[in-house]
Amino acid sequence: MNKISFNYSKLLLPGILLAILVVLATLPLYGSNYSIVLLTSIIMYVILTVSWALFSGSTGYISLATAAFFGVGIYTSAILGRTFTASILANEYFVVFIVIIGGLISACLAFIVGAITLRLRGIYFAIFTFGLVELIKNLLLWYEVKFTGTRGRFVVVIGNETIYYVILGILLLLLLVTYFIRRSRYGLALESIGEHEEAAAHIGINVTMVKVIIFAISAVFVGMTGSIMAMRWTYIDPYISFDPNLTFLPVLMAIFGGTRQMYGPIIGAVVFAYLEEILLTRFPYYYMLIFGIVLAATILYLPNGLVGVVQKIIARLAGGKHAHSRG
Amino acid sequence: MLTSILDVLIAGLLLGGLYALIAMGLSLQYGVARVFNISHGEFIMLGGMATLTLFTVFKINPLIAIVICGPITFVLGYIIHRTFFRHLLTSLPIFGEITILCTLFLWTVFRILADYNYVRLNQFAALAICLVIAIILDFALNRTAFRRIHESRVAAGVFESTSMLFSFGLMFIIKNIAFIGWGPSIRSYSFLQQPVSIAGALFGMNRLVTLGFSILIGLAFYFFLTRTRIGKAIRAAASDPTVAQLMGVNINQVLALCFGLGAAMAGIAGVLISMCYPVNANMGIEYTIIAIIVVALGGLGSIPGSFIGGFALGIIGSIVSFFEPGLALVAYYFIFGLLLLIRPKGILGK
Amino acid sequence: MWRKAIGYSLPVIICLLLLLIAIPGCQQAATPTAPKTTAPATVATATKPTTPAASPSATAAKPTKDKIIVGMSRPLSGPLSVIGDSAFRPIYETWVPRVNAEGGIYVKEYGKKLPIELKIYDDKSDVGTMTRLTEKLILEDKVDFLWPACGTSFLFAQAPIANKYNYVLITAEGGATSLKDMLPSLPYVFVSLSFSDWYEVPVLADLLAAKGAKTAYIMYIADLHGIEYSGVAGIELPKKGINIVGIKSVPPDIKDLSPIIKEAKALNPDAFLALAYPDQVMPATATSMELDFNPKAWLGGPGVNFGFYHTAFGPAVEGVLGWTTFARKSSPKLAELADILYSGKPEETNDWWGHPLYWAALDMWKAAIEKAGTLNQKAIRDILATEHLETVLGDTWFTIIGGGGGLLAKECHPGEVGQWINGVFEVVGPVDKATAQFVYPKPPWPKK
Repeated sequence: MNKISFNYSKLLLPGILLAILVVLATLPLYGSNYSIVLLTSIIMYVILTVSWALFSGSTGYISLATAAFFGVGIYTSAILGRTFTASILANEYFVVFIVIIGGLISACLAFIVGAITLRLRGIYFAIFTFGLVELIKNLLLWYEVKFTGTRGRFVVVIGNETIYYVILGILLLLLLVTYFIRRSRYGLALESIGEHEEAAAHIGINVTMVKVIIFAISAVFVGMTGSIMAMRWTYIDPYISFDPNLTFLPVLMAIFGGTRQMYGPIIGAVVFAYLEEILLTRFPYYYMLIFGIVLAATILYLPNGLVGVVQKIIARLAGGKHAHSRG
Repeated sequence: MLTSILDVLIAGLLLGGLYALIAMGLSLQYGVARVFNISHGEFIMLGGMATLTLFTVFKINPLIAIVICGPITFVLGYIIHRTFFRHLLTSLPIFGEITILCTLFLWTVFRILADYNYVRLNQFAALAICLVIAIILDFALNRTAFRRIHESRVAAGVFESTSMLFSFGLMFIIKNIAFIGWGPSIRSYSFLQQPVSIAGALFGMNRLVTLGFSILIGLAFYFFLTRTRIGKAIRAAASDPTVAQLMGVNINQVLALCFGLGAAMAGIAGVLISMCYPVNANMGIEYTIIAIIVVALGGLGSIPGSFIGGFALGIIGSIVSFFEPGLALVAYYFIFGLLLLIRPKGILGK
Repeated sequence: MWRKAIGYSLPVIICLLLLLIAIPGCQQAATPTAPKTTAPATVATATKPTTPAASPSATAAKPTKDKIIVGMSRPLSGPLSVIGDSAFRPIYETWVPRVNAEGGIYVKEYGKKLPIELKIYDDKSDVGTMTRLTEKLILEDKVDFLWPACGTSFLFAQAPIANKYNYVLITAEGGATSLKDMLPSLPYVFVSLSFSDWYEVPVLADLLAAKGAKTAYIMYIADLHGIEYSGVAGIELPKKGINIVGIKSVPPDIKDLSPIIKEAKALNPDAFLALAYPDQVMPATATSMELDFNPKAWLGGPGVNFGFYHTAFGPAVEGVLGWTTFARKSSPKLAELADILYSGKPEETNDWWGHPLYWAALDMWKAAIEKAGTLNQKAIRDILATEHLETVLGDTWFTIIGGGGGLLAKECHPGEVGQWINGVFEVVGPVDKATAQFVYPKPPWPKK
């Protein structure tokens, strides 16, 4: 593989991304009303998946805490939404404010969790983070029942377009942050942690700090998404907010897409979420069966995830010669 | 006071027995076969639902159902590992996997067409046709496209993630088939629901039977592992698959056996659960979660650890429930998290 | 080198071109759907929720309409499928073919009978998916009517959406005082199911007080349902002189209920109330039998009202109380309904609480359309809100709350509290609608 093709393939990707973003940003002008609703949920999955892959994809620490950060965002939104009066909430900047607060609180949680748990390795870290979701959920449930005497909360309702633009903004921010982290020394540090943690420590990387900071950064976006999605769902309770599906799906989507490249999780999430939408509406009684078969067949026959397929296509497009060297 | 302490402890043991049995199965599948099996709970569900059907339709005693469900889930697990997981492990397509997947897919297509009244065909005839087409396709593919693929063992880390992902797919498939077969409704039956008094504390007969069987199966399994040749092979494969293979252990056989045994334990646990609690096609995931907690608590891959972990969790849950039932689950996760922080490898982890 | 540069930029250019083509393409794709319904009306309702715009189907002149499309987002998978599958699903699956067999619903506007076509999506018991699919039904599929999602918390999320787009929503599974409190701002929402203070718990309190019960123990599930019922019971029972000696909440995932039953047994209350779902009411029953806990009244609900409860325990549950609506003896019409729904089917399919109310809700919907002579949501809403209509329950109407949406009037309920008597789930309260005498104290669990 020579140097030139490396450079251009790097140009190609941002180009496509930019074009897609332009289309997405102008969509409410001409798209159908439902396309915004559908895209909001697809983008939600993309954000969850990409921010999962930002930390877990490169370090190899499988975090199952996505739902915890998401749920914290949701509850921030629900509690803040209650605190302020409706007139303030009509202001769209205030929505952004709530979303940012949601992200920051999630980041704090991630910081604490990261600091105490990142010495756990491999599957232990995964199980611990999963336990964290359940712990927060049950503790919150107990608290709500015992002290507030309710279980669910109503969240302030805002227009679909506002939600769409906010979530698109979060996506854009996330992609930029991911891109720059991957290129910065933090990205390299993460890669080396993923490959060999002791070696990374020996060459002078502050392993713990890097891990905790990236973990917190990835949580910011998840929390922000949670805050904004709460406003779409209008009614939330601990079971809705800390749904284990929200931890498992991003992992599935990322591995489905392939975690090596930045665009792998994006492709995985988009294809996965759209497939789900089609199955739920077209074949509701066989949704899980078809989904399961597709998932199983993909894992068995496309070992590199969807990225493997995409890479082959790109290689073919860019001249057949290199098709095999990338495969 | 003494009675209530006894009460709480025995209630914990009764619950713990079930947890231990569930967890031992997963521990075997993860510890030896390296499959972090998310579909573990679905085998529990299959066991429970099958027992219910056997009991209500065919009037078969649930204790006899153990002998029926155990082997069936074993064979199911064995076949699944022999085809799919072996493929993931060796990246070599295996005759049978296309048959299974393709039959399922064609059958789904048939069901959908039948729902829209495009085809009118007997269920069994349709299944037979699907099966024949799938076998022909499988045969053809194995003769042509798959011939060029060569065996290459994948790295342990890669296998762990792909197998977990695959077990997700498996979970969806099994659950949906159960939904089609049994529907989502909750059901239960009464069996041995009479009180038994132990030193003044009252317990259900069925729960005591459950505990007895969990301990029995746990002990039988322990002796199987330590006293038999296959048991030795399993332990060898658990500690180092490569060396075990060099020493003449048929590693694929042993791994499939372990996966099958894990599934069988899940199936038997399902039978026992159905004696005490209502069952439905959707119950799998909650037991999977419990199994994961217990396995991590006891130390991943350590079967005695899972056994002890199950009882520990049961007793903790029982003690906390005694004071504040709302906090029982919180306590599970809190203790579990705390233990992981203090002893990251679990109670008996190496 | 330049050749390669071109080689790589080519795909980028192709992609950009494709996107440029796609933009007008989308526009064209969006416009053809518009004439079917009136575009301005839909857009107005979507972007400005507060503007009272006419519903999409209202202003459109559709002379060629040949069916009524009804959309639903139902939990076909996931934890709520347990409820959805046994509650509303059998009703619409029986009701719709019966109406269609007669040719459908007569709509004067089109001068003919229109058959009903169902469009059902699976929300996998997830609120986020449900809200999305509800908007899909309204915005993309432009269904003529929306039928309800399953579960109280789902209604909380769905009702504001239906109301925002001015779609009439007659609910099925779910109902709560907190939903009642929301109704004044939701004029398009009508709740069909009876619930805690509408009018079950007060009736129970009367029944127990009349027989001289003095103490009660409450176990409730830590969710909306349990909190609500235990809250109402905590107010209504003491009003009638019944002292609540213990109250415990149980999280939904917990398995072993023996500590609670043991505590209840130690307190020896006259009445035991398990305010939880079937997956806890059934183990609570089993545990009570195992521990020989025999209060004078044992109530569990929802759960006891289902046929599968009786199938699971058989004659052992003689005398157990639950929430209900009807029994075969309630009225000839309801006996006929029970025959339509249950005869020739296993006992497991029976639901003596919700079924007639859901059926009546659909009857009302049909009657309102026929009376309005149009598919206009506003016209139908007004009829539902003001008129008395003929249903399986007889003369039926909605009680309007605060000028907004309504609750199925409690006078129309054929019953509130039921009891298993000689293998039949009879209505025992309120007394004037009872089909059998309230058995108190209940016979003890049989000794095996």
